[in-house]
Amino acid sequence: MLTYITRRLLFLPIVLIGVTLLIFFAMSFLTPAQLVSAYIKSPEELKNQSIQELVGRYGLDQPVWKRYFSWMKNVLKGDLGYSVSANMYVTEAIAKRFPATLELALFAVIPVICGGIWLGTISAKNHNRPLDHASRIFAIVGWSLPDFVFGLIILLIFYGLLSWFPPGRLSVWADSVVLSGSFVQYTGMNTVDALLNGRFDIFLDALRHLVAPTITLAYLWWAYILRITRSSMLDILGKDYVRTARAKGLTEKLVINRHVRRNALIPVVTVVGGMVLGLLGGVVIVETVFDYKGIGLLIAKGAERMDYTLILGTSLFYGVLLVMTNLIVDILYAVIDPRVRLE
Amino acid sequence: MNAKMRTLLVLLLVVAVGAGVYAYFRSRDQGETTDEGRAPATDPNTFVYVTIGEPDTLDPAYAYDTASGEIIHQLYDTLFDYNGSSLEELVPRLAAQVPSIENGLISEDGRTIKVPIRKSVKFHNGSDLTPEDVEYTFERAMISDPVGSPIWMFFEPLLGVQTMEQVIALAGGPSDYAGINEVDPAIRRKAFDMIDAAVEVEGDAVVFNLAAPYPPFLQILAKGGSWSSILDKEWMIANGDWDGNPDTWAKWHDPAKEEMTLYEKANGTGPFRLQAWDRSGGQIVLKRFDDYYRGAAKLETVFVKYIEEYNTRLLMLQSGDADAIYADVQYLDQLKGIDGVKAVEGLQQIANTTLLYNFTIPYEGNEDIVGSGKLDGNGIPSDFFADINVRRAFNYAFDYERYLNEVANGAGSIAKGFIPAALPFSNKDGEWFTHDLEQAEQFFRQAFDGELWDKGFKLTLLYNSGNNSRKTAAEILEFNIESINPKFQIDVQGMQWPTYLSKLDQGSLPVFFMGWLMDFPDAHNFVDAYLRSTGAFAGYCGEGLVELAKAEFDGLIAQAMRAQTTDERAALYQEINRKAFEFAVSMPYIEPSDHRVMRAWVQGFAHNPAYSANYDFYSLTKNAAGS
Repeated sequence: MLTYITRRLLFLPIVLIGVTLLIFFAMSFLTPAQLVSAYIKSPEELKNQSIQELVGRYGLDQPVWKRYFSWMKNVLKGDLGYSVSANMYVTEAIAKRFPATLELALFAVIPVICGGIWLGTISAKNHNRPLDHASRIFAIVGWSLPDFVFGLIILLIFYGLLSWFPPGRLSVWADSVVLSGSFVQYTGMNTVDALLNGRFDIFLDALRHLVAPTITLAYLWWAYILRITRSSMLDILGKDYVRTARAKGLTEKLVINRHVRRNALIPVVTVVGGMVLGLLGGVVIVETVFDYKGIGLLIAKGAERMDYTLILGTSLFYGVLLVMTNLIVDILYAVIDPRVRLE
Repeated sequence: MNAKMRTLLVLLLVVAVGAGVYAYFRSRDQGETTDEGRAPATDPNTFVYVTIGEPDTLDPAYAYDTASGEIIHQLYDTLFDYNGSSLEELVPRLAAQVPSIENGLISEDGRTIKVPIRKSVKFHNGSDLTPEDVEYTFERAMISDPVGSPIWMFFEPLLGVQTMEQVIALAGGPSDYAGINEVDPAIRRKAFDMIDAAVEVEGDAVVFNLAAPYPPFLQILAKGGSWSSILDKEWMIANGDWDGNPDTWAKWHDPAKEEMTLYEKANGTGPFRLQAWDRSGGQIVLKRFDDYYRGAAKLETVFVKYIEEYNTRLLMLQSGDADAIYADVQYLDQLKGIDGVKAVEGLQQIANTTLLYNFTIPYEGNEDIVGSGKLDGNGIPSDFFADINVRRAFNYAFDYERYLNEVANGAGSIAKGFIPAALPFSNKDGEWFTHDLEQAEQFFRQAFDGELWDKGFKLTLLYNSGNNSRKTAAEILEFNIESINPKFQIDVQGMQWPTYLSKLDQGSLPVFFMGWLMDFPDAHNFVDAYLRSTGAFAGYCGEGLVELAKAEFDGLIAQAMRAQTTDERAALYQEINRKAFEFAVSMPYIEPSDHRVMRAWVQGFAHNPAYSANYDFYSLTKNAAGS
């Protein structure tokens, strides 16, 4: 397994160079004046600066290969450049925004997976019965609902009407404490930092702000996990060894839990790997609606403004994340299914 | 599902319900919670303003955007301020007196202005304000001169130029160079000496030596934009900024925004100090400065939060978590219907929006916009807008009233010239274009000696996608012009901002929209931008406009600035207004007004259109009775 992991990690630089070359290649189709739009947001900002002046200042008139090598040189020195849309260095932007996304993903991933698998199991167990139909309809409605609409409904109910779960990551009073200088931000994840600082009130407040986006994300993803679990379980339920297990007189609970679900989880793990990566990539709409300033919002804003420095930097970051997630998924295969050997 | 998984789910559910219950009771108790460290939005000492667009920088020498100005306004003070909502009457702030010829602080020739500096004013770090701080502020701004910054406003009155490059040229150096370090150190020293001589300390006062009389100079120094905010010299040096050395200033010239000392730090004399700029959370926290020389502000803490999504801002205002929010004009009716929310409308804004014409439109690579490039009914020739009759016809064809009422929701007034009506020397009583299709037809018939009327034209009118008010303005023009002659065809198209910008850069857009928000409340700021050959937009309007501006406007604009008396200035601006109408240089169509939306408990709101800040937090209080 160690050889397998090493070999996969050795592929990492090649993947990253490929990603950056692709982005630079796409950029070569843009004129310097188009690239300068990252620095000027509207016609009014041309007040006291000329487009050509900015092109020269940021070296946008240089050939694309020259820009690539100069960028790569800086990357090797650990400098991913300055992002105009984030108004900070790319490394700083990732370091500041990723913990929020990670925190949301960590809180969302358990209800999403558990809920999805549970619903899928219920559906499969009650194949073509009312419970199957009901759980499928429930989940498919979630899958079909635009996340923007569902997010707004949740915000309207739980914040607008009930005042339970407000948008943002913390309340004003908690922000006052966190930004006062006496509160140490160890990880950037408010729940973890609050516990490390011994502030249970801030922990609860951070938790309170996580509930609404988590509900939204969970509901939107359940249908997907449900479908995969259900079809995979139905497939396994028809296998000979399941019939044998039943013939041996095992209880239905034992058959499902030990013989069916475990084997049905392999395709689910693949899907979950992609889903986790998607969650870590940021969930733009959910972050927008709930003012949850994570990395998704950052990237979306960067793309909108053609902030290529940010796009390149975050692509590198996600390249690493992608390779690592796939590696973990491969290892999980081996854990779930002893027949799988990583060589 | 196994037992472990079920337990986990139950646990999660319990936590969620617990958080909900906690939240419920917390929100119920919020009004009474005032314990230390906890400042809910309904706390009378904490103000929460939720808006869009974070500041570019907190450095006054760089900041030129309203979002930066909003924060800098609260952190710093300037030498003068406007008296209430007046745009002309100044009151002293860090200055001890407002200079005038009558009190002898302005010389008879208007070129020397002496400003006595107030004593016993403290910076946020506790140090005292001195005249040397004031001198340092202006000299540091000029030696920095970052590209695209507002520092031209110091160069123009003090040295008669607009950039450091021009100062170097004045000092005998090259007029064009790749980097300041390429310039001979002796020339650099000479350039610095010129800057140094422009701002001098004289006892307890600072003396500004102007290159020529510059009537709006005191307004440039007043609390409008952020550029004239006074810095603490010692603190700046201690934080690694320029040390005042005349030979090393080049190191601090044209720095990258993020490398400037004050990019995210501040030490001003203003009523609030910067507690944090939380860029990951998109918010700025300001704390009351208790030693503020005009008395401490009533609010203790101000949160400025940046949330792009309108619905989230709306719900925060509705729930009372926000005391004020930014909202576009189209949402005003909805907001006014919310209990406990007030909208302040019709706030004066010194700005205008204009449709500009390109006098020399290129054909190569521009076929998608100009069609055949000929006067044959399938396109427009390069000199289409160089014909004065076409410009006049366009100006008469626009339905100004309809735009104001249907697009701008009545928020503003119809522009009658380039100088906004609220400023002295505007064209309020002069002749200007109105919606008159008969006149438009008459001028179209005269254009190109009647050839245009017979053959027609086809033109693509572009706007940057997403800007719906400009889209509708273009469609109003399209509808009216096409109704005059069926051979006239206008195609309104949205274009993505990067491509639009690229076209603008190439001078390819035959017509385009631009807005101008004043830097300082003076007619010069507007005529310079729109009518001078070196104006902000001249480069995008083709050589034809530059030539016209040189011949007809440049001389008058310069004379108006040198004029010794108000009457003389008035006469010159009247002539500029008349010529602007005669030549129909472009089409200013609206002077928009502004509005604010806040909870009814917010008291003390004051507005001055010269401020770049939407709120002067110093004047605000929260009074539950107001709700």
